[in-house]
Amino acid sequence: MSRDALAAELAGAAGAELLARLEAHAESAALRQLVARHYPGLGLRDLHGGGRRRFLSLLAVSLAAGGLAACGRSDPEQDVDRRDRIVPFVRQPTDMVPSAAMTYASGWMVDGLANGAWVTTRNGRPIKLEGNPDHPWTRGGTDSFGQASLYGFYDPDRSQSVRYLDRASDWPEFMTAMRGEMAGFAARHGEGLRLLTPPLASPSLIYQIERLQAALPAMRWHTHAPVGRGLLYAGTRLAFGEALETRWRFDRARVVVAIDGDFLDSGPQQTGASREWQAARRRSAAEGRLLTLHAAAATSGLTQAKADFPVCVPARSIAALVSALASAATGGVLPEDAPARAWVARAGAALAAARGAGIVTIGALQPPELQAEIHRLNMQLGNVGQTVFHTRPALQEADDAAALIADMQAGRVDALVMLDVNPAYATPAALGFADALARVRLAVHAGQHVDETAIRSTWHLPLKHPLESWGDPRALDGTVTILQPTMRPLYGGRSVAEVVSMLAEPEPRDGLALLHWAWQGGSAEKWHEWIESGLIAGTAFPERPVKLAPIKPAAAAPLRVGTPSAGLRLLVRPDPTVWDGTEANNGWLQELPKPLTKVTWSNYAVIGPGLARKHGFATGDRARLRISARTIDVPVWVTPEQADDCVTVTLGYGRQAGGAVAEGLGFDAYALLPPSYAGRQDWETGGLAIEREGAGPAFALTQMPDAFDPKDIVRVQTVGEPPVGDDRAFTQPTFYDRAPDDGRSWGMVIDIDACTGCNACVVACQAENNIPVVGAEQVRDGRDMHWLRVDRYEAPETGWPGARFVPVPCMHCENAPCELGCPVEATLHDHEGLNLQIYNRCIGTRACSSYCPYKVRHFNYLDYTADTAPSLQAQFNPDVTVRARGVMEKCTYCVQRIVAARIASDESDRPIAPDSVQTACAQACPTQAIVFGDMKQSASAVAQAKRDPRHYALLGELNTRPHTTYLAALAPRGGEG
Amino acid sequence: MRQIFHPGADAILRLTIFGAMAAVAGFFVLVGGIPNSLYATGVGQAPHQTPPFSHKHHAGELGIDCRYCHTTVTTQATAGIPPTHVCMTCHSQIWNKAPMLAPVRDSLADDVPLRWVRVNRLPDYVYFNHAIHVRKGIGCSSCHGAVTHMQLTWPAENFTMAFCLACHRHPESRLREPDAVWNMEWKPGSDQAALGRRLMAEYHIASAARLSDCSICHR
Repeated sequence: MSRDALAAELAGAAGAELLARLEAHAESAALRQLVARHYPGLGLRDLHGGGRRRFLSLLAVSLAAGGLAACGRSDPEQDVDRRDRIVPFVRQPTDMVPSAAMTYASGWMVDGLANGAWVTTRNGRPIKLEGNPDHPWTRGGTDSFGQASLYGFYDPDRSQSVRYLDRASDWPEFMTAMRGEMAGFAARHGEGLRLLTPPLASPSLIYQIERLQAALPAMRWHTHAPVGRGLLYAGTRLAFGEALETRWRFDRARVVVAIDGDFLDSGPQQTGASREWQAARRRSAAEGRLLTLHAAAATSGLTQAKADFPVCVPARSIAALVSALASAATGGVLPEDAPARAWVARAGAALAAARGAGIVTIGALQPPELQAEIHRLNMQLGNVGQTVFHTRPALQEADDAAALIADMQAGRVDALVMLDVNPAYATPAALGFADALARVRLAVHAGQHVDETAIRSTWHLPLKHPLESWGDPRALDGTVTILQPTMRPLYGGRSVAEVVSMLAEPEPRDGLALLHWAWQGGSAEKWHEWIESGLIAGTAFPERPVKLAPIKPAAAAPLRVGTPSAGLRLLVRPDPTVWDGTEANNGWLQELPKPLTKVTWSNYAVIGPGLARKHGFATGDRARLRISARTIDVPVWVTPEQADDCVTVTLGYGRQAGGAVAEGLGFDAYALLPPSYAGRQDWETGGLAIEREGAGPAFALTQMPDAFDPKDIVRVQTVGEPPVGDDRAFTQPTFYDRAPDDGRSWGMVIDIDACTGCNACVVACQAENNIPVVGAEQVRDGRDMHWLRVDRYEAPETGWPGARFVPVPCMHCENAPCELGCPVEATLHDHEGLNLQIYNRCIGTRACSSYCPYKVRHFNYLDYTADTAPSLQAQFNPDVTVRARGVMEKCTYCVQRIVAARIASDESDRPIAPDSVQTACAQACPTQAIVFGDMKQSASAVAQAKRDPRHYALLGELNTRPHTTYLAALAPRGGEG
Repeated sequence: MRQIFHPGADAILRLTIFGAMAAVAGFFVLVGGIPNSLYATGVGQAPHQTPPFSHKHHAGELGIDCRYCHTTVTTQATAGIPPTHVCMTCHSQIWNKAPMLAPVRDSLADDVPLRWVRVNRLPDYVYFNHAIHVRKGIGCSSCHGAVTHMQLTWPAENFTMAFCLACHRHPESRLREPDAVWNMEWKPGSDQAALGRRLMAEYHIASAARLSDCSICHR
């Protein structure tokens, strides 16, 4: 080939076509020869090989180049002349005001179910997510997953192109390949074709798959969720003969009993259920009685920790406990050898006294037989239809993954399409999914990351994030939540619905067209209403009357897990911050402390004190867990909250692929799970052996376990007793003049009773205030940057460790000690009662931090924000300074929101309305534990909270006069159940 | 015994001492002066722009109102830079063949935005809001100078904190009647002190102490 021949071939082509033609030649030997002939110096030679001299010369060049690169500023906003550029639109979109915030209704997904969100965008970039207050399930609250979904959206490790085997490919190539394949399957009615998805809650997607199944009747659809709600549905199937969602009306309840309860823990129910529970509890306390929570479990979670009457029972005794409770609550005889007899007696009596107004709940991970027992008990107590009710299930399941893997091993699967699942990681290793996948001729995987399944698949397709997709998933209550894109797809990608459309239809449609098609009944006005509100009103499932199904002889046999076998058991739980591993590459969630242990960046095995004594374990030691031949090495956490007959491990860690953040952290609990898990979801397995391996590296903790003592920190108000709150902190004499003010004084009140420790506020603060992720090493050195931390203290009056969660932002003290420490006045007061931190004035002496009794100041030691990936920089809130190295930073009460409200009020000459300014933490809180506002406005919620008899100041005796104050935790009157 | 120092040694000593003192003083003058020098601040220097847009022509000679192009100045923090489409509202009709405007036409035709060199710049940790200043009687020219006389635009003021505080500490010194905000020729009159005090009351402007809180500009 000559130069002219190449030029002739390229002539007339432009743009993408020119590149395509060039690409076609780029790898050809002819072009290489041509280039080598004309440009002998150009390094198309292989860089590998060439010996030591070449290696050294390359090394020298790269060193020199590295030095040169350091000479210039590499700010992409600047051109070569080092001056900033302003780049306006060519045509400005009609509805868009540059730099003004715009809000779209959309949603976030937790384990397949939607929660309603309002997404704030600036200049077309989503920067913050809030709960949608109009959404009947979410009602303005959020959880940590929702807040962190922005990080997931901007995640630089997200899959960015179609892959075929191990090379990059593109969508047209995939579609061409699949068109032929699908024609072949159509001829065989889908024989050999399998579809694997998570359980689905999106009506339009389910409809699409049903149509595909109708066209290919021999195709089989499987669903797999590592956690999911399969056991809950199996439980109602046993009790009522059909799969149902169990819901609660806390507002009608007088007592709640939770057996291994998890309604306050991470999961799709968390946002809605914790708000309803807390609202009911608050109202009951105001009426002079307390909606008490009795909880029994072998391992601790947030529900267990928040209980007024908690008890720890051995895992093997849960079944016996359930039957004892049933007997005690229905007037039967309580056996002498019942586990936790006193607890059962009290809970049973309380339930019996509150017939029709009690709630008995059981964890989503308990076996169906036990769940059915609980349903029968609720029925017997007359609670069903009153405080407990049932609806259609929000998630649709299909055949399970175990059946699929068996068929794959038997060679009955020719092609497998895996959409938004990662079975190569999230199935028990003992099942051998990865090996079985090798026997499938055509494996198509669609996911947001190039994960363990992607690297083993023929095709990998990048999936869109929910924040860039159209969709209609249901929330737990059935409300159809309209997901709308808040930004153009960041990395290309398609949604699951769009991939299904590619497989099923000759002319693939985009997500919007698919939604229109599925909801074609709606008029244009309706459609606008749905998009504007982010939901379809009235789609929540109505209550479904239930009748107990006859107990089948098989179910009447002794409960499988109830058999009190000796020996150690393994309990498996989703991780409170990274869930089943889908959030493992999310830096915000990795650095988020686990609520009860304050461990970051790792999972661990929880063991009880008896077991620890027996094997000589201390927290932080390494242990080897073994079930038959499977072993994993784990760090252990020793706590009295754990029963001694079991070890709890969490999922989500030990990732081999799936992103730079996720890989290599913690251990993979799936490696230990028994093969039966994928079909039946055995969250509890016997035959566990544990041995000590020796000491291990320290955990990256944000609070030391020896600092869980609540003395002087947490006050507890017994309902009906004299108030424990006081204003002593504000009446001591002081030398200082009261700060002058212009009529406003911002303050915050945090209700310790309402805080469930869910951590939504911590992530919300991180998203709002550009707080960097620092990594495990820095956390270990005490350099975590969270402006708002949630301290955990124990609740000894419950007779069990328990937990009182105390969120600690900056106290904005009137007599702020930090202000005395600063030599340069970088921290000082303004006229609205805010303790300011002026970054550009700060010289980093850290004196303020040593003066601060609350330890809420954080020093940026290593320029943590400098290495933020460009995609994550796009999430930065433009109203908040991105702090550099050597600067102290702390909670500002979201001063940017206050300023925005102040400017709006100055412009309109109207005062700031009470409660119109919300800090990010207050807005995110699902239980409304945090109220913020102007204390000078007596109608504001914060001023009312400051008058509450439970109101007190943290370390008030120091006379710092904090503007952040607390409401005491609540406890039931003695003898009251 | 022979003298160790010759008669001129005293002079050399004096020269050395005074020279050293002058050098130290000069060092501080230099270090203090450089950041505020025209070289460092760029005040009065107009960078080249493509196309070479003239405020003198458009705002001065033709009398086009500021808000025709800077549409969000009364409502948003940023004044706004007009999209190409706004330039072409006129330039599709007049001067629509001018070679100087080729970049504007190309921008619209190719859907590639114009790239203007930023003239007025604030540090990242300073948050300035145009809307509230304009609404409360601070005119454009108080910060941007008489742009109606600028062929190419240059920064009229050195945006140091001292410049901002001069006004925030004495707001009455620069306040104008609402209709004078857009007047590029405005100069404080002899009665400015009285006018300023009256306008402060009318605009409900808080005390100077309140206006010089750090949180007014820094977050």
